[in-house]
Amino acid sequence: MLLPCGSNNLHIDDVCIDWTGLSLEAERLLGSAAQFAGLRVMFAISDIKTALAAVVYGMIHELDWGVIELSRVNNFLRTSFTEAGVTLINVSNGESVGVPPDLGEVVPGRITVMTSGTTGNSKLIAHSPATLNTFNRARSLPPNLWFVPYQLGTYAWYQMVMLGLFMPMQHLALGDSSDLAHSFEKVLSKHKVTAISSTPTFWRHILMSIDEETITHAPLLSISLGGEVVDQAILDRLSALYPDACIRHIYASSESGSAIVVSDGRAGFDRMILDQPDRTIQIKISQGRLFVRSPFGQLLSEGEWIDTGDLVAIRGERVHFLGRANGEMVNVGGQKAFPADIQALLLGHPSVLWAQVTGRRAPMVGQLPSASVVLSVQMDACTAEVMLIAYCAESLPDYAIPRFWDFPLSVPLGASLKS
Amino acid sequence: MNRSEIFDLMNAVMTKRGRPELVSEAQTTRAAVFRSLDFSETALRIEMKISRELAFDAASMRRIETVKDVLDFFEEAIRGS
Repeated sequence: MLLPCGSNNLHIDDVCIDWTGLSLEAERLLGSAAQFAGLRVMFAISDIKTALAAVVYGMIHELDWGVIELSRVNNFLRTSFTEAGVTLINVSNGESVGVPPDLGEVVPGRITVMTSGTTGNSKLIAHSPATLNTFNRARSLPPNLWFVPYQLGTYAWYQMVMLGLFMPMQHLALGDSSDLAHSFEKVLSKHKVTAISSTPTFWRHILMSIDEETITHAPLLSISLGGEVVDQAILDRLSALYPDACIRHIYASSESGSAIVVSDGRAGFDRMILDQPDRTIQIKISQGRLFVRSPFGQLLSEGEWIDTGDLVAIRGERVHFLGRANGEMVNVGGQKAFPADIQALLLGHPSVLWAQVTGRRAPMVGQLPSASVVLSVQMDACTAEVMLIAYCAESLPDYAIPRFWDFPLSVPLGASLKS
Repeated sequence: MNRSEIFDLMNAVMTKRGRPELVSEAQTTRAAVFRSLDFSETALRIEMKISRELAFDAASMRRIETVKDVLDFFEEAIRGS
């Protein structure tokens, strides 16, 4: 049983609460835990404070539980829950949602985490306090106030909440994922945020939305990046903004847990960590895909290799991510173009703030690369296109240079904080 | 789309990639450096303009040698779509 850090503060807007406050709030909202005995339950919740209270409640009573944002619950998820024997409870009224399931196996202490769904429909992944509490691997952490930008109920959110509940002197300021830039700005004005875990897309959104002076006002000493390919351009930008911060990129997924931490300021990771049987978390590449074996993986993996579904390539001493195996490659007349490579190149251009490359169906050759780019300077689309094609031509083969371009005015930021 | 608009579209594809404009229908695609990917991009841009997929005749595509052949091909593909 993990011991809570009762003195850690969790800030939600103007409210500051701790473990004791959350447990009292949970008992008030949810009542006796006896009603959930024999159930695998998911608490559907609209606000962050209630979600935190439900986390504390689930852990104190060792329920088989999870939390999900009410707005995420759709017909697909209702069906998934019913099929998995999960009872969905709307915490605001205490009523069950959807078709009551046939009761299946109940595992006390199991935590059901929903994947973000960026690679398809959301999946239910079984975790436990031990597999979610990945920060306890750090020998000691200096006192921190972390800004938490993640949507409640996602894997990254649970990781951060576990950090705030169980690691000494790790305080949290929880952001409102429906308006992150405003929420971040508000937190910066009220608190001295020293640490943040987020995605490259989150930072690009913030850099477009908040002035640099406000951003650099935060005394950030620890920046963790993950959730999507971390490119050299964002690493360089953040290290210029926060020269005193330790910037890490962390490879983690709901299925494999947190697996690789890189802090040398370079994109990708050192190939030396491959195929080392003595590592607690083992990494290997098979047929161009990354596999992880980890005690922090989902419960069902039982120490087996987990296929992450991520494509990687060894280049010199470095392993680079190329994107997802299921369809992210653009097949141009039999030539393989990898969006992650093209995006990384575009993001290195001084006038590019954000880029996303996809394949577009095209006659004769199957697909052509198509780029969506947010510029950091005002420019007409035609000039920008000519400039970026010429820039790409210096480094990419002809088939990998995007043929179609559009220039949205802001960084599209989904609930998963990924592009 | 008429022949002149298709020609303009081909030239737009060329100039955006820093290549010289096509000057006459008699030019061979090889000499003009109008490549298969340019051909595919032009075809997709035509499809976007006319809001329907083109009907391709593979045999006539293999016979393409000049800019004129490309224009003939696209005109025929638009008519057949």
